Amino acid sequence: MDAIEVNDLYKSFGDVKAVQGVSFTAEQGTIFSLLGPNGAGKTTIIAMLSTLLRPDQGDAKIMGYSILENPMGVKSVLGVVPQEIALYEDLSARENSTFWGKMYGLRGSILKARVDEVLEMIGLTDRAKGAVSKFSGGMKRRVNIGVALLHKPQVIYMDEPTVGIDPQSRRNILDSVVALKNQGMTVLYTTHYMEEAQELSDKIAIMDFGKIVASGTHAELVKIVGQLDRITLTINAEGSQVLETWKAISGVAQISSENGFLTVLAEDSNLVLPRLFDSAASLNVRITSVNILEPNLEAVFLHLTGRALRD
Amino acid sequence: MKAFDIAVKDVLHGLRSSIFLVFTFAIPLLITGLFYFMFGRISQESDFSLPTTKIIIANLDKGGPRFQVSTNSIPGGKRAHTMGELIVNILSDEEMADLIEVTLAPNAAAAKAAVDNQQAQVAIIIPEDFSQQYADTYGEAQIEFYQDPTLTIGPMVVRSIMDQFMDGMSGVKIAITVALDQEEVVTSTLIGNMIQQYITSSLAQSKDVEEELLTIIPPKSGVTDTVQEEKNMLLSIVTPIMGGFMTFFAFYTGTASSENILQEEEKHTLQRLFTTPTRQSEILSGKFLAVFLTVFLQIVLLIISSHFIFGIRWGAFPNIALIALGIIFAASSCGIFINSFLRDTKQGAVIFGGILTLSGTLGMIRTYGFISTTETLGNTVSLLVPQGWAMRGLLQVMDGAAFPNILITFGVLLAWSIVFFIVGVRRFNHRYA
Repeated sequence: MDAIEVNDLYKSFGDVKAVQGVSFTAEQGTIFSLLGPNGAGKTTIIAMLSTLLRPDQGDAKIMGYSILENPMGVKSVLGVVPQEIALYEDLSARENSTFWGKMYGLRGSILKARVDEVLEMIGLTDRAKGAVSKFSGGMKRRVNIGVALLHKPQVIYMDEPTVGIDPQSRRNILDSVVALKNQGMTVLYTTHYMEEAQELSDKIAIMDFGKIVASGTHAELVKIVGQLDRITLTINAEGSQVLETWKAISGVAQISSENGFLTVLAEDSNLVLPRLFDSAASLNVRITSVNILEPNLEAVFLHLTGRALRD
Repeated sequence: MKAFDIAVKDVLHGLRSSIFLVFTFAIPLLITGLFYFMFGRISQESDFSLPTTKIIIANLDKGGPRFQVSTNSIPGGKRAHTMGELIVNILSDEEMADLIEVTLAPNAAAAKAAVDNQQAQVAIIIPEDFSQQYADTYGEAQIEFYQDPTLTIGPMVVRSIMDQFMDGMSGVKIAITVALDQEEVVTSTLIGNMIQQYITSSLAQSKDVEEELLTIIPPKSGVTDTVQEEKNMLLSIVTPIMGGFMTFFAFYTGTASSENILQEEEKHTLQRLFTTPTRQSEILSGKFLAVFLTVFLQIVLLIISSHFIFGIRWGAFPNIALIALGIIFAASSCGIFINSFLRDTKQGAVIFGGILTLSGTLGMIRTYGFISTTETLGNTVSLLVPQGWAMRGLLQVMDGAAFPNILITFGVLLAWSIVFFIVGVRRFNHRYA
């Protein structure tokens, strides 16, 4: 069953077309990532799917609830982790959790139990009474995620939750996203970090200028630019000395020499690279540097838009 | 229920802010305390009195038209054959003894020398032709007033008495002139009657001045009554001040509390609230309820604490409760109204500094009716703003006005509130729709 069904969404702000005909589906219990540079329209989509913004055109269903016809139904199954730290900084982690739990309709002992569970989950039980204003950026991010989980939502939106935090906190957050998926939640994750989308996602939609330019699994997307690894080498001799020999090595699809660099396209760099070293030794040539570039989403984005993802 | 949760959270947020607490509770009490101790100190200093002013008079008046004044009407039962003698007798009156001490000088130079040598603080030189000039239809009777320039209070007191005297004499002179024109008869009896009338009123006026200046001097006996009178006088000064600042800061609090909506918008917690299964109406109701509760808390605490700290008596409970409620409604809804027009909190600083200060000052004009001639105008102008009606209500309660009058003021405050609230709520609903 699809937890999220987005159908031809449009949204403009004056002359700016923020979202232009976006459609996608996310299966229940999976992680779906929207990958794209800043300004691609990811946050606008999240805002529409959260019912904060009304689309100019199109509709979406979250666990079967239409964002247009039943926004309260949508909100009841939804947890939203906004890009910003949307917490009351003068309140403690426990007070924040308790307040937001009430806003999700939790009361009494159930609320207390859930607050305890979530504080445990985000590793802040010991700091529960501390004011959020005194927390580090990473701790605030964890509370920011935690309050969205209090009511055990079926679908959770996470809008760039790792922006501006240290690597350790980032690692914790990525692990917690996987953990949520393992608990059966459907996660809609937006990021402009290719590595995060690649690591976490069951499905990825690459966005640019308000449109989805490609979507699918990581493997499906990579196929767009082909599956050959790119190995770039330098040697202590002229490239022409090895060119013909290496072209004949099993697994090498293509080889070229330019500006002192040898570029080898191979089906599997792990198999080809040892053969290249053996050949170089037999030719009495030393390989002085190696760089392997596997096909990735960066390459896909470059291929599709003509721009680097971080431009 | 969620609205209440939001309201409680917002009120707690306010109470955790030291700046908010200072502006909401501390400053109104501190300002009132300042006035209280300023005026209270004066009244509590039992040995306080105006210093006696030493006057030296050179009465050179050689007389003019003969007039008779009953000795019963002249202070000390003395006779006055000239206008100069009349002035000397009035200033030498026993009633004035606490204020001024009169000695006579043989001539102007001696009188001035006494001031120069600091033997006297004021010299009054009555010229030779004073009575004659006074009697002359076109004459100009002048008295020379010579004072130590370093002194202020003593000479001011004397000058005040002399001003009244001269004003009164001018009136008499005009009256005489008119009488002469009409009757074409000059009789000493007529002049005497006129002078007698003046003296009676002049002495009465002098007594008024004396009383006015001496109201802060406690009598020698009746200690309990005196303390109570002092207290009453102090409260009559401090209570309107407290009421004024309570009103001013209630509107400030209403606006500052309402600004919390914009703050939440800027901190993205409001948007997050909108993603929870909570209706917009509940969220906004909670925010508005918080504003109301905060102002309610402020007004109640200020009324109670000012009663216990300064002994302020706010009047009958139903009356003050009704007006307090009116102020709470008006201040809260005014805050919601103002903030509904703001784009962000940056604009708030300008609004706070501008609109609230201006309207608050207008509203409090009647409290500080320092310019008596503009009092009526001030009262009218103050009613152009809700703060003015709030002050009117408080003053009515303090003065023990009839309940129907208080009810009218409450009704006007309620009307302001309803208009503010409807406009504010509509604008906020539209903003977040």
